[in-house]
Amino acid sequence: MAVDEPTAHAARPDPAGPGARRRRRRPGGGRAPGDPRNIGWLYVLPGLAVYLLFTLAPLLHTVYYSLFDWDGLTGKTWVGLSNYGEALRDEVLRDSFVHSAILIVYYAVFPVIIGLLLTAALTRTVIRGFRFFRTALFLPQLIAGVVIAQAWTWIYATDGPLNRALELVGLGSLVRPWLGDFTWALPSIGAIGSWVTFGLCMVLFIAGVQKIPTSLYDAARVDGAGPVREFFAVTLPGLRDEILVAFVLTTINALRSFDIVYNTTAGGPGGETLVPSMYMYQNAFLYNRVGYAAAIATVLAVTIFLLAAIVLRVGSRGERT
Amino acid sequence: MKSRLFGIFVLGAVVLLAIAAGASNAGKKASPITLTMWSYDNQDPGLQPVLQQLSKDFEKSHPGVKINIVFKDFNSLVGTVPRALASGSGPDVTEGNQGYQTDAQLVKAKLIIPLTKYVKKYRWDRLYAPSTWGMFRWTPDGKSFGKGPVWGISQTGQNVVAFYNKRKLRQLGINPNKMPQTFAGFDRLLAQLRAKLPDDEPVIAHGNKEGYGFIHLFGGIQGAYVKAQTVRNWIYHVPGSRYDTPGTIRALGKLQQWGKAGYFNDDYNALGYDASATEFAKGKGVFWIGGDWDSTIIKTGLGAANVGVMPVPPGPGGSWTSIGGLSGPWHISAKTKYPDLGAEWLNYVITSQRAKTLMFSQQQIPADRRAKPPAGDPYLAQVSKAFRLVADDDGLLLYTDWASPSMYTTLQNQFQLLLAGRQTPAGMAKAVQDDWEKFDKTLR
Repeated sequence: MAVDEPTAHAARPDPAGPGARRRRRRPGGGRAPGDPRNIGWLYVLPGLAVYLLFTLAPLLHTVYYSLFDWDGLTGKTWVGLSNYGEALRDEVLRDSFVHSAILIVYYAVFPVIIGLLLTAALTRTVIRGFRFFRTALFLPQLIAGVVIAQAWTWIYATDGPLNRALELVGLGSLVRPWLGDFTWALPSIGAIGSWVTFGLCMVLFIAGVQKIPTSLYDAARVDGAGPVREFFAVTLPGLRDEILVAFVLTTINALRSFDIVYNTTAGGPGGETLVPSMYMYQNAFLYNRVGYAAAIATVLAVTIFLLAAIVLRVGSRGERT
Repeated sequence: MKSRLFGIFVLGAVVLLAIAAGASNAGKKASPITLTMWSYDNQDPGLQPVLQQLSKDFEKSHPGVKINIVFKDFNSLVGTVPRALASGSGPDVTEGNQGYQTDAQLVKAKLIIPLTKYVKKYRWDRLYAPSTWGMFRWTPDGKSFGKGPVWGISQTGQNVVAFYNKRKLRQLGINPNKMPQTFAGFDRLLAQLRAKLPDDEPVIAHGNKEGYGFIHLFGGIQGAYVKAQTVRNWIYHVPGSRYDTPGTIRALGKLQQWGKAGYFNDDYNALGYDASATEFAKGKGVFWIGGDWDSTIIKTGLGAANVGVMPVPPGPGGSWTSIGGLSGPWHISAKTKYPDLGAEWLNYVITSQRAKTLMFSQQQIPADRRAKPPAGDPYLAQVSKAFRLVADDDGLLLYTDWASPSMYTTLQNQFQLLLAGRQTPAGMAKAVQDDWEKFDKTLR
């Protein structure tokens, strides 16, 4: 296929790009201007210090706390790994991870698909007010989670706009208290997540598309590719890196989601929307079990780390070198 | 080169620190003495305007003292107050919550001080009946509830009662001045109302979004099947107490039956507690079963003449009961520099005539048993009478969620499952008892 080869070529990062050509490496020894020097460490020192102090240190601290039975206020008792043993046996925690897995579909899979469709639509045709749409669709990303949760609680209310709209189009039988319904509460929260994250995916993809050389599109058209073929042969492979980044970011978002759950259902009804971060909060701040909460936090962090690694590994498989 | 960069970095850090230090100093200098109070009595109409007005009065009579009263919702206050107090920059005086989740924690971690000295100084012992003080007593290790020194003091009486829409009852052909005086009669009335009302209108307007709606509502049912002292003993962890008794299981079955029969609005899990009171005040439902601290919301909406107030009537035993007790316990921080001033403020907002007048004006029942409601306010007289009926029968059940740190969530989930038909009454009773026993072991 004519378009196949250049596509994979374009997907490769920097070295093949036009910018890379300027930097010429001298063969054998010697340091070219721009190569790393020790002073580099000094440049990163401020950032590194902040990272160590505010990210790495608290992280290690959390792992440390997870080895104790501690109410957060009075004396700690060393319990070794027994908090982790409890976490493995805890059915509530297991359920909360299942809920998170469902949320990933809403937070990651749907937004990426919607983002791709929008990107295809926005880049192929010239749309008046393109900038306005791009900004408007990205807006949910910029709104605080609490505000989003309040707005959607209102939208989902029994006499809220969603149910009103359903009644108007003759779907009155579907009317329900969305966030209070055992079956629909979790998908309803998921839909909020999709709404929040698809703008981020879209902006990433639109930026990525601009990086794909127009010659590829021209070649595709010369070969007689229609819009669908063009999308799958040129746009999609060209966006591989962006899609990976979008998946990683949104999956992390899904697993960490707390503010929206806390402010819409607080884990209810009957624990149907309980997610690990909410359960961690309950243990730390309501049940006075900081040690166990720290263990949940650690398990959650490891899960996120592994998932991100898997996404990256799977995503970069098949990439030509 | 290197050292210069490093120098800049250090300088930057020093400047940042200086700014941070300056900012925190500036905050403290604003007034000679600032007392910070935290409260979740954020209902307006309700206690919020009372506390705000009394704090202004207090500032006037104490020049140089600034009262900074911060209102939070219940869940976020109890979720943050232990760590705020421990940090040293938390409130000087704060509400906690009776029970093992909050107060036991504050006592055990020595974050609040016993009020023994002030009980004596201000003669607070005359405020409540001796048995009522149990909810403020803890042994200093935070393990035994109901005995030991007094650590808190409350402003108002709290009673979960049934409010009813008299106009609507009349429209449905029921005489609102002859309400049933037994639980069986009350149960029959609800069934009768269900048959008469249109399908989409609830008999009981209810909001359970926060999770305490059904904890409160169930008290009226449980009290008809179980003795009040049995419920209180269970909360106080008296050895051998049980939740999964035949009486409680039958009471849970009754609640489930009410749910199945469609007595409640079907969006109860998505509707807030106070919001459901507002809905009732707008004319939704015939009953609202909830805290009398929301009585002004209801009066404002329906008009005093159209509202009746009564506790859910008693079962065969004949004693009036309800979930209730006293409002959130006020504590003095162990880290405050001004404990005496804090106690003086508490004494003012709880015992002064001015405080009582303001509380009554917001339809709140002062906890001080000597307080007399003003004449010429029949609505307030009803609210007050409902509280007295229960208090005089020693029927305040307290709140079942006090019984363990996780009991609130357990009850919240179990009630939602029960009402959705996903849990049996016996299954719920067992799950609740399991939570209780798991925690009970840590107390022995």
